[in-house]
Amino acid sequence: MKIITHQFGELEFQEDLILDFPSGLFGFEQLKKFVLIKIGEELFYWLNSIEQPEIAFPLFGIGVIDDTYPVEVENEAFGIVTLNPDPLQITVNLKAPVYINQNRKLGYQKIIDKENYPVHYNLFVA
Amino acid sequence: MLILTRKLDEEIIIDSDIRIKIVSISENTVKLGISAPPAVEILRGEIYDKVVESTKEAFAQSKNTAPALPKLKINKLNNKNHD
Repeated sequence: MKIITHQFGELEFQEDLILDFPSGLFGFEQLKKFVLIKIGEELFYWLNSIEQPEIAFPLFGIGVIDDTYPVEVENEAFGIVTLNPDPLQITVNLKAPVYINQNRKLGYQKIIDKENYPVHYNLFVA
Repeated sequence: MLILTRKLDEEIIIDSDIRIKIVSISENTVKLGISAPPAVEILRGEIYDKVVESTKEAFAQSKNTAPALPKLKINKLNNKNHD
């Protein structure tokens, strides 16, 4: 199928790549279907909505930041990234990880109610 | 909004399988005991609101082009354990 994305323009992909998010994302509960995009060596993944293709969220693999982060069987944990023109201001949401099971094509977001996982965690140090 | 008055140890029941009990009351704090099926997500309101706000901000910022990333180091959590 084809969608018109904001970041990548027209994008064509196999329908079996579509990820199901039965509960959507917090604040975007109406969005249930996404595709996960990774371009070459780019640092960020993009979780692009199928239903509203102009909506996409940059994601970062949390395992790279913290190898003790809570794991969920068969799932990979991603944090939603808030971009900024100043890279040092780029943050990752460690409080509400997006878990994606690429084999079962399922995803969900969860809130981890622990002090050491902030909503805005600075991704880079100078 | 439905407003109910409850006393200590009294409960409210939602949808027959969610029970919320007043466990203790002090001057500024009410403690609630909640029992619900595992699939029911229970969140503190202010944390949920903060997460929603952050996701909306992430969406707004995603419209800007990602900055060229110089060779910056990833800010590792728990890096004390690895150095």
